[in-house]
Amino acid sequence: MNAHDEERMKHFLKQALPPMGDADPGRDLWPAMRQRLAARPTAVPWFDWALAGGLAVFALAFPASIPVFLYYL
Amino acid sequence: MNTHPYLRAFLAGILVPTLVMPLMLIGFIVLRFWLQVSVPIERGMVFPMALVPGLWGIWNILWIGSHARTHLPIGLHGALLPLLLMPGGAAITSCFGILALGSHDAIWFQTLHIPYALILPMFMVALAAYYLVWKYVVGFLNHTLGIA
Repeated sequence: MNAHDEERMKHFLKQALPPMGDADPGRDLWPAMRQRLAARPTAVPWFDWALAGGLAVFALAFPASIPVFLYYL
Repeated sequence: MNTHPYLRAFLAGILVPTLVMPLMLIGFIVLRFWLQVSVPIERGMVFPMALVPGLWGIWNILWIGSHARTHLPIGLHGALLPLLLMPGGAAITSCFGILALGSHDAIWFQTLHIPYALILPMFMVALAAYYLVWKYVVGFLNHTLGIA
Protein backbone atom coordinates (compact mmCIF):
# COMPACT_ATOMS: atom_id res chain seq x y z
CA MET A 1 0.00 0.00 0.00
CA ASN A 2 1.59 3.26 -1.07
CA ALA A 3 1.18 6.67 0.50
CA HIS A 4 -1.60 7.61 -1.88
CA ASP A 5 -3.61 4.53 -0.94
CA GLU A 6 -3.09 5.26 2.73
CA GLU A 7 -4.44 8.75 2.28
CA ARG A 8 -7.46 7.40 0.44
CA MET A 9 -8.03 4.79 3.18
CA LYS A 10 -7.90 7.53 5.85
CA HIS A 11 -10.35 9.57 3.86
CA PHE A 12 -12.79 6.65 3.49
CA LEU A 13 -12.51 5.75 7.18
CA LYS A 14 -13.23 9.33 8.22
CA GLN A 15 -16.24 9.32 5.94
CA ALA A 16 -17.54 6.01 7.32
CA LEU A 17 -17.06 6.89 11.01
CA PRO A 18 -18.64 10.23 11.91
CA PRO A 19 -16.90 12.34 14.57
CA MET A 20 -17.89 11.54 18.18
CA GLY A 21 -18.54 15.17 19.08
CA ASP A 22 -18.55 16.11 22.76
CA ALA A 23 -18.49 12.69 24.47
CA ASP A 24 -17.99 14.02 28.02
CA PRO A 25 -21.04 14.51 30.27
CA GLY A 26 -22.09 18.05 30.98
CA ARG A 27 -21.49 17.71 34.75
CA ASP A 28 -19.48 15.70 37.21
CA LEU A 29 -21.34 12.42 37.81
CA TRP A 30 -19.21 11.17 40.69
CA PRO A 31 -20.94 13.13 43.53
CA ALA A 32 -24.33 11.78 42.44
CA MET A 33 -22.86 8.27 42.36
CA ARG A 34 -21.42 8.66 45.87
CA GLN A 35 -24.75 9.99 47.13
CA ARG A 36 -26.54 6.99 45.66
CA LEU A 37 -24.06 4.54 47.16
CA ALA A 38 -24.37 6.17 50.58
CA ALA A 39 -28.18 6.27 50.51
CA ARG A 40 -29.84 3.90 52.96
CA PRO A 41 -32.16 1.28 51.46
CA THR A 42 -35.80 2.27 51.51
CA ALA A 43 -37.57 1.12 54.66
CA VAL A 44 -40.55 -1.18 54.28
CA PRO A 45 -43.70 0.75 55.28
CA TRP A 46 -45.79 -0.50 58.21
CA PHE A 47 -48.72 -1.17 55.88
CA ASP A 48 -46.72 -3.76 53.96
CA TRP A 49 -45.60 -5.42 57.19
CA ALA A 50 -49.24 -5.57 58.26
CA LEU A 51 -50.22 -7.17 54.96
CA ALA A 52 -47.45 -9.75 55.23
CA GLY A 53 -48.51 -10.52 58.80
CA GLY A 54 -52.12 -10.87 57.70
CA LEU A 55 -51.09 -13.32 55.00
CA ALA A 56 -49.19 -15.44 57.51
CA VAL A 57 -52.10 -15.41 59.96
CA PHE A 58 -54.55 -16.41 57.23
CA ALA A 59 -52.32 -19.27 56.07
CA LEU A 60 -52.03 -20.55 59.65
CA ALA A 61 -55.75 -20.19 60.30
CA PHE A 62 -56.88 -21.81 57.04
CA PRO A 63 -54.14 -24.18 55.86
CA ALA A 64 -56.53 -25.85 53.42
CA SER A 65 -56.45 -22.66 51.36
CA ILE A 66 -52.69 -22.92 50.71
CA PRO A 67 -52.88 -25.53 47.88
CA VAL A 68 -55.64 -23.51 46.22
CA PHE A 69 -53.49 -20.38 46.36
CA LEU A 70 -50.48 -22.23 44.99
CA TYR A 71 -52.59 -23.60 42.20
CA TYR A 72 -54.08 -20.30 41.05
CA LEU A 73 -51.22 -17.96 41.81
CA MET B 1 -29.99 1.85 20.42
CA ASN B 2 -32.88 -0.58 20.92
CA THR B 3 -32.54 -1.98 24.43
CA HIS B 4 -35.58 -4.28 24.13
CA PRO B 5 -37.36 -3.06 27.29
CA TYR B 6 -40.45 -5.19 26.63
CA LEU B 7 -38.37 -8.36 26.28
CA ARG B 8 -36.68 -7.58 29.60
CA ALA B 9 -40.05 -6.79 31.15
CA PHE B 10 -41.39 -10.16 30.02
CA LEU B 11 -38.38 -11.98 31.44
CA ALA B 12 -38.63 -10.12 34.74
CA GLY B 13 -42.35 -10.91 34.90
CA ILE B 14 -42.09 -14.64 34.31
CA LEU B 15 -39.24 -15.19 36.80
CA VAL B 16 -41.32 -15.59 39.97
CA PRO B 17 -43.90 -18.10 38.66
CA THR B 18 -41.16 -19.95 36.79
CA LEU B 19 -39.29 -20.44 40.07
CA VAL B 20 -42.47 -21.60 41.83
CA MET B 21 -43.31 -24.19 39.14
CA PRO B 22 -40.62 -26.75 40.11
CA LEU B 23 -41.86 -26.59 43.70
CA MET B 24 -45.37 -27.36 42.46
CA LEU B 25 -44.05 -30.24 40.38
CA ILE B 26 -42.24 -31.64 43.40
CA GLY B 27 -45.47 -31.38 45.38
CA PHE B 28 -47.34 -33.14 42.57
CA ILE B 29 -44.80 -35.96 42.38
CA VAL B 30 -44.82 -36.42 46.15
CA LEU B 31 -48.62 -36.48 46.31
CA ARG B 32 -49.17 -38.67 43.29
CA PHE B 33 -46.37 -41.21 43.33
CA TRP B 34 -45.16 -41.27 46.92
CA LEU B 35 -48.28 -40.67 48.97
CA GLN B 36 -50.47 -42.35 46.29
CA VAL B 37 -53.07 -39.58 46.46
CA SER B 38 -55.58 -40.35 43.73
CA VAL B 39 -56.67 -36.85 42.84
CA PRO B 40 -56.63 -35.71 39.19
CA ILE B 41 -53.97 -33.04 39.62
CA GLU B 42 -52.41 -33.54 36.19
CA ARG B 43 -55.66 -32.59 34.44
CA GLY B 44 -55.43 -29.10 35.86
CA MET B 45 -51.69 -28.55 35.70
CA VAL B 46 -51.93 -26.78 32.35
CA PHE B 47 -53.30 -23.64 33.98
CA PRO B 48 -50.51 -22.89 36.43
CA MET B 49 -47.75 -24.31 34.24
CA ALA B 50 -48.61 -22.89 30.84
CA LEU B 51 -50.71 -19.80 31.38
CA VAL B 52 -49.67 -18.14 34.61
CA PRO B 53 -45.99 -17.39 33.81
CA GLY B 54 -46.91 -15.94 30.43
CA LEU B 55 -49.61 -13.81 32.00
CA TRP B 56 -47.14 -12.45 34.55
CA GLY B 57 -44.75 -11.52 31.75
CA ILE B 58 -47.45 -9.84 29.69
CA TRP B 59 -48.74 -8.04 32.80
CA ASN B 60 -45.27 -6.62 33.42
CA ILE B 61 -45.01 -5.53 29.79
CA LEU B 62 -48.34 -3.75 30.23
CA TRP B 63 -47.00 -1.95 33.30
CA ILE B 64 -43.83 -0.86 31.50
CA GLY B 65 -45.86 0.29 28.51
CA SER B 66 -48.50 2.17 30.47
CA HIS B 67 -46.54 3.53 33.44
CA ALA B 68 -45.60 6.79 31.73
CA ARG B 69 -49.30 7.58 31.27
CA THR B 70 -50.94 6.02 34.34
CA HIS B 71 -48.17 6.42 36.99
CA LEU B 72 -49.74 3.40 38.70
CA PRO B 73 -47.39 1.89 41.31
CA ILE B 74 -46.20 -1.59 40.34
CA GLY B 75 -47.67 -3.11 43.51
CA LEU B 76 -51.16 -1.92 42.67
CA HIS B 77 -50.74 -2.98 39.06
CA GLY B 78 -49.75 -6.47 40.20
CA ALA B 79 -52.66 -6.60 42.66
CA LEU B 80 -55.04 -6.24 39.70
CA LEU B 81 -53.79 -9.47 38.13
CA PRO B 82 -55.80 -11.84 40.40
CA LEU B 83 -58.93 -10.13 39.09
CA LEU B 84 -58.05 -11.80 35.79
CA LEU B 85 -56.36 -14.95 37.04
CA MET B 86 -58.77 -16.25 39.63
CA PRO B 87 -62.01 -16.09 37.62
CA GLY B 88 -60.17 -17.41 34.55
CA GLY B 89 -58.59 -20.17 36.57
CA ALA B 90 -61.90 -21.05 38.18
CA ALA B 91 -63.55 -21.32 34.76
CA ILE B 92 -60.78 -23.55 33.40
CA THR B 93 -60.65 -25.78 36.47
CA SER B 94 -64.40 -26.26 36.54
CA CYS B 95 -64.22 -27.30 32.86
CA PHE B 96 -61.51 -29.88 33.68
CA GLY B 97 -63.39 -31.19 36.71
CA ILE B 98 -60.82 -29.87 39.19
CA LEU B 99 -63.31 -27.49 40.80
CA ALA B 100 -66.83 -28.56 41.74
CA LEU B 101 -69.43 -26.26 43.24
CA GLY B 102 -71.37 -27.80 46.11
CA SER B 103 -74.32 -26.43 48.02
CA HIS B 104 -72.23 -24.95 50.84
CA ASP B 105 -68.66 -25.07 49.62
CA ALA B 106 -66.40 -25.23 46.61
CA ILE B 107 -64.44 -28.47 46.22
CA TRP B 108 -60.98 -28.56 44.65
CA PHE B 109 -59.36 -31.83 43.56
CA GLN B 110 -62.35 -33.71 45.06
CA THR B 111 -60.60 -33.23 48.40
CA LEU B 112 -60.29 -29.62 49.51
CA HIS B 113 -63.60 -28.20 50.74
CA ILE B 114 -63.56 -24.41 50.97
CA PRO B 115 -66.75 -22.79 52.32
CA TYR B 116 -68.21 -20.05 50.16
CA ALA B 117 -67.85 -17.61 53.07
CA LEU B 118 -64.08 -18.05 52.78
CA ILE B 119 -63.85 -17.32 49.05
CA LEU B 120 -63.96 -13.52 49.39
CA PRO B 121 -61.34 -13.40 52.18
CA MET B 122 -59.17 -15.70 50.08
CA PHE B 123 -59.55 -13.35 47.15
CA MET B 124 -58.51 -10.40 49.32
CA VAL B 125 -55.52 -12.38 50.56
CA ALA B 126 -54.56 -13.11 46.95
CA LEU B 127 -54.71 -9.39 46.16
CA ALA B 128 -52.47 -8.63 49.15
CA ALA B 129 -49.98 -11.37 48.22
CA TYR B 130 -49.79 -10.14 44.65
CA TYR B 131 -49.35 -6.55 45.84
CA LEU B 132 -46.36 -7.53 47.98
CA VAL B 133 -44.74 -9.83 45.41
CA TRP B 134 -45.07 -7.33 42.60
CA LYS B 135 -43.93 -4.39 44.68
CA TYR B 136 -40.85 -6.03 46.14
CA VAL B 137 -39.83 -8.87 43.82
CA VAL B 138 -40.94 -7.85 40.33
CA GLY B 139 -40.15 -4.21 41.14
CA PHE B 140 -36.64 -5.23 42.21
CA LEU B 141 -36.18 -7.27 39.02
CA ASN B 142 -37.36 -4.39 36.86
CA HIS B 143 -34.96 -2.06 38.65
CA THR B 144 -32.10 -4.54 38.28
CA LEU B 145 -32.76 -4.96 34.58
CA GLY B 146 -32.84 -1.19 34.14
CA ILE B 147 -36.43 -0.85 32.97
CA ALA B 148 -37.92 0.86 36.03
